[in-house]
Amino acid sequence: MSNLEKYSQAFVDAFEIEQGALASNLEYNSIPEWDSIGHMGLIAELEDAFDIAMETDDIIEFSSFEKGKELMAKYGVSIN
Amino acid sequence: MALLDKPIVVEKFRAFHSYIRKNNGQIGTKQRGIDLNLNNACNLRCEHCFTNSPKGDHVKEVLDADVIRRVANEAHELGIFEWDLQGGELLLRPDILFETLEAMDTSRFYVYLTTNGFFMDADMAKRLAEAGVNRVSVSIDSMEEEVHDEFRGKKGSWKKAIEALKHVQEAGMSPYLNITVGHYNAFSEDIKNLVEYSKDNDYTTLLNVATPAGMWQKASEIMVDEADKAHLIEMRKKYKNILRNLWNPFDRKYEDILGCNTVNRMYITPVGDVLVCPYVHIKIGNVYEQSLREIAENGFRFKPFREHSKLCLAGEDKDFVKNYMEFEGTTIFKPALAEDIFPEDQVDNTPVQLPATA
Repeated sequence: MSNLEKYSQAFVDAFEIEQGALASNLEYNSIPEWDSIGHMGLIAELEDAFDIAMETDDIIEFSSFEKGKELMAKYGVSIN
Repeated sequence: MALLDKPIVVEKFRAFHSYIRKNNGQIGTKQRGIDLNLNNACNLRCEHCFTNSPKGDHVKEVLDADVIRRVANEAHELGIFEWDLQGGELLLRPDILFETLEAMDTSRFYVYLTTNGFFMDADMAKRLAEAGVNRVSVSIDSMEEEVHDEFRGKKGSWKKAIEALKHVQEAGMSPYLNITVGHYNAFSEDIKNLVEYSKDNDYTTLLNVATPAGMWQKASEIMVDEADKAHLIEMRKKYKNILRNLWNPFDRKYEDILGCNTVNRMYITPVGDVLVCPYVHIKIGNVYEQSLREIAENGFRFKPFREHSKLCLAGEDKDFVKNYMEFEGTTIFKPALAEDIFPEDQVDNTPVQLPATA
């Protein structure tokens, strides 16, 4: 599985949504599933998938599907 | 203000999430919240009030701000991330409320209020948002004005409650529509209309089950039965915006049970007594005499609170209610003492390791 596939799968698993619901404009609070509670689930899925531990500042900054890719790079994970 | 705007809260919430994941989705002995009754005076006369406010019970007492400050520090050390400020009706005395918010340092907690909404206008909502309140739960019983007003004992209370939610939303706080569900209304049009209204307006529905406590002590017929509970789960899955303290909020299949939150969310009365939950009027300590940690450790000595319960003890466990919640005259100001009511076989003195903040 590529990093992009793993990254996308984390969103699917965290929010129990279909792959088709993922879009580049997906952002925090844009869907009911991505609220603060869902956000914790997403972070946990990403940390498990990529074996990383995210810092609080990055958890807070992780505001969208696209922004998340930038932040993952800080942990040595290239999403493309 | 959202939870994610408070970095300290994000850390603690994350620790809570991590604990729950590692503990098979169960709350165990993880401390999560404080319910604080600021003052028991209220402008309404709700039929089901669990604090006996309509009877004018202890309406003058208020916890000292210094005690609130200390308790908030202790709560933070225990990893507690949420505070529910309630009454009575806490907007009757906004001076006490804002003093409390200042004393607890709202940057450290996800703060919410439970209110009947009567005094929540746009200006108050703005002030609360600025003071760091994240969410406001407004209690509503029906989408029919007369039904709600009669239940609450005051004409005009429904309109105020409905408007309050709008003001909360406009001020940038999370609006929660609080509903109480019992055997008498689980399948009713009232409940259906309320959850629909909540969903349509992008609110969250906070579901509390009816409990035979306070004004309804010994009225066990109001408790939900198996069919009612199954219906609540169906609604949970259908609407996806319904929360309940008993349910695992992180489960996106909308099925898992966190467990009863007794002692995980302690209830503090205006005289400093600490009860295991707002609806179970059993005392485990007093904040004027002991630290929160000591009180929590004491609370978890008692097996019904230490062991995982899939049932809400006060709202679903008829045996628990019959054995421990029907002592004559029990109120939040005259609670039963845990030490006195639990037999030896219900006590476990093995020390509890309260989880530290991650």
